[in-house]
Amino acid sequence: MDPLAGMDDSSTDDDNASQTTEDDPQIPEHAPAPPPPPSAAPPLPPQPSLARREKPHYELRHTLTGHTMSISAVKFSPDGTLLASCGAENIVKIWSPFTAELIRNLTGHTAGLSDLSWSSDSVYLASASDDTTVRIWEVDTGLTHKHLKGHAKWVFCLNYNSTSTLLVSGACDGDIKIWDARKGKCVKTLHAHLDYVTAVHFNRESDLIVSCALDGLMFVTLRCVSILRNLRIVSSRIWNTSTGQCLKTLAEDHNAICQQVQFSPNSKYILSTAHDSAIRLWDYKNHRCLKTYTGHTNAKYCISACFSVTGGKWIVGGSEDHKVYIWDLQSREIVQVLEGHQDVVVAVATHPSQNMIATGSIESDLSIRIWEDHSRQGHQVQGTTTSN
Amino acid sequence: MNESLISPFNFSHPTAVQTSLYALGSFARFDPSGRFIGVGRFDGLATIWDLETKAAVRWLDGHVKAVTSLDWSRHSQYVLTSSKDWNVIVWDLASVYDPPQRHATIRCDAPVSSASFHPRNSQIILALLSTGEVYLIDLRKNHRSRTELYEPDGDEDGTEGQSSRRYAMTVARFDTSGKYVFIGTSGGYILVFNTRTKAMIARHRIAGGAGTIKGLDFAKNGRRLVTNSSDRTLRQFIVPHYPRSPETGVEIFLDQELEPTHRFNDPINKTAWHAVSYSPDGEWLAGGAADAANHKIYIWDISNDGQFASTLDGGREPLAHLHWHPSKASIASTTNQGNILIWHSPNAERWGAFAGGFEEVDENVEYEEREDEFDIEDEAEIIRRKKEAEQDDVDIDTIDGANAPVYPVVNGFHVNGGNGAPLSGNVGESLDEDMKWADEDANDDIGVWKMKILMDDDDM
Repeated sequence: MDPLAGMDDSSTDDDNASQTTEDDPQIPEHAPAPPPPPSAAPPLPPQPSLARREKPHYELRHTLTGHTMSISAVKFSPDGTLLASCGAENIVKIWSPFTAELIRNLTGHTAGLSDLSWSSDSVYLASASDDTTVRIWEVDTGLTHKHLKGHAKWVFCLNYNSTSTLLVSGACDGDIKIWDARKGKCVKTLHAHLDYVTAVHFNRESDLIVSCALDGLMFVTLRCVSILRNLRIVSSRIWNTSTGQCLKTLAEDHNAICQQVQFSPNSKYILSTAHDSAIRLWDYKNHRCLKTYTGHTNAKYCISACFSVTGGKWIVGGSEDHKVYIWDLQSREIVQVLEGHQDVVVAVATHPSQNMIATGSIESDLSIRIWEDHSRQGHQVQGTTTSN
Repeated sequence: MNESLISPFNFSHPTAVQTSLYALGSFARFDPSGRFIGVGRFDGLATIWDLETKAAVRWLDGHVKAVTSLDWSRHSQYVLTSSKDWNVIVWDLASVYDPPQRHATIRCDAPVSSASFHPRNSQIILALLSTGEVYLIDLRKNHRSRTELYEPDGDEDGTEGQSSRRYAMTVARFDTSGKYVFIGTSGGYILVFNTRTKAMIARHRIAGGAGTIKGLDFAKNGRRLVTNSSDRTLRQFIVPHYPRSPETGVEIFLDQELEPTHRFNDPINKTAWHAVSYSPDGEWLAGGAADAANHKIYIWDISNDGQFASTLDGGREPLAHLHWHPSKASIASTTNQGNILIWHSPNAERWGAFAGGFEEVDENVEYEEREDEFDIEDEAEIIRRKKEAEQDDVDIDTIDGANAPVYPVVNGFHVNGGNGAPLSGNVGESLDEDMKWADEDANDDIGVWKMKILMDDDDM
């Protein structure tokens, strides 16, 4: 049962003792950590060895309570000023991540929500609901700007493309729909999967979409393409009726069901989480699994993971042992474990410019926690976030 | 970037129509990123289409007569339109207003046949008037000027009596570096001017005579040039090198006949050409036939000694204009009914892609089993090897190639944003005086801009 038992000897304490060259491996709780030496600042990529020895020092900053049912997603707005969250109740909550204040409830959906996505200008927020619709909200007014109807079943996941002109959503009947966000019209439907589509994500250029589903097929599809890691044969009929083309199938030996996928910030790689308690980074062009991150527990829930690039380069993921794990991107070691949630951590998000993580948990916890790392500067220190 | 996923082989030319945009346009031009397409219309409107959603996203309403040309700034933020209403208008697409407000208006003395931005600085504008005059308009504070480019007629003695001065200028283009302005005349001459000094540095007669020059296009590397002239022939030339006098640093005047490396025409129908465009790699040339009953695009394979490669048939609506995508095997061709056909190169479905680690072969191959193929390996060894393989560092957030479509590969290296590498095709030249002059007081077209997201209100 001990989640740490499965790890190799890279427990946090050992690492601190043996590898850290910073003067203070153990940061006292609640004391501001001294800034790292300037030479260790991450913007210089050719110093990986130095960066590797750095550790994050995230501490709990706020606990946001208010959700009454399991939380399914938390998302920072791209300008970093707001945090949106949703859960099995019918509302979207908008928070200030800095003051922990609840700013607004967005009401209108008639069933629980599964996923959220912000437009790149932080003005609009799209939400995917079990009432089979997607709503695009104007966050400032709290009004529904578009109501996208067309899915036949519960909508489980969605994402904007980088220019926020398109929206992709996946539903529980296996369909993926691509919407023109401006008009609110469906422009394409891909009958891509046979079961819950659990994740869909555009690459930067918006010419690919990666998706995965509980049927074991992991697809990437842009309006016309798909990349997949699949574990079952897809019947050709499915693909003939869509205009999507399958580009690639990424396969490993194991038969774990992949439940979350996303492109890396530069769209060169794909990060996937799977039910064999492993997070993997794929080079989808060369069919290779580049990195495997293990140590957490994930066998049942759809748990998200994400990239953290504002300070060091980390992978942050939730876990069924009620903890949040932070791995070093390169060395694949667990560099920090965040404890505090009382139940499975399913939702994880990283702040776009500051060293901040938001996590959300289910049933017996129902809280959102904001974690911050003040020991290092984010890449961009931006004025917009200091307004409060 | 996904070109390599779709076709691991090389760049090709488009073969089929992917979409048709009902745009009522007289011509359409891709922006340097390939995300948008700018359309000029007879009613004076210019529209910007987003190719992601295949929908018009901006309406530029400022002209009262037909739009004659449209050009994009280097980073697509500014759009320039010229019109028969004597105006040239610069629009800022980063503006938060919709419809966008004009950024600058330039009033000319006659209907404007075409206008274009300097490739390095969108405050320098070249305008060709329907009266056959060419003006170089500089909007920068320190250089504010409007200069006519004309052929000096003082030194008649040295020239062969027949000056091309009397001929109207029919086409004017910056070369890819922006250092020179190339002007075609109704007498079949090509005149070359230095953009900074505004002095004429060369006059080329096309060998054999060609009639009026109707069009000019440069390959992206700037070394080749194709002309479209009234004798229904497209000619490709190697752009000559313009030597500078060592004392003054000024180009020595060159009066030279140019011999085309290739001539392209339609030997059977003898059709004229409405438009001509190079592919981004310069390996293909597309010519739009002025056929009154068909929409035909001819493709020639330049790398294969200019051999005719294929004809694309776009149906019954005759072609009016075409433009090749800045980075892909895609062409936008405009019909005389105003529809825009987007051509692409479709890929056959590869069913092998559905299975991981499965490779399709074109022909049967005698399979030879490797010696160790079915050996059972030590599991620990496999895990160890996998761990080792995972030790390589990965780079998840450096965005390379993001600007690649905007900056062509020149002389074998990537040209980066404004920091000195030459955009010109002239080998070995670094940032010289002309470039520095052009980079002075550049405006904010720096590549980091976002088009405001708009939502239609008709819903609910």
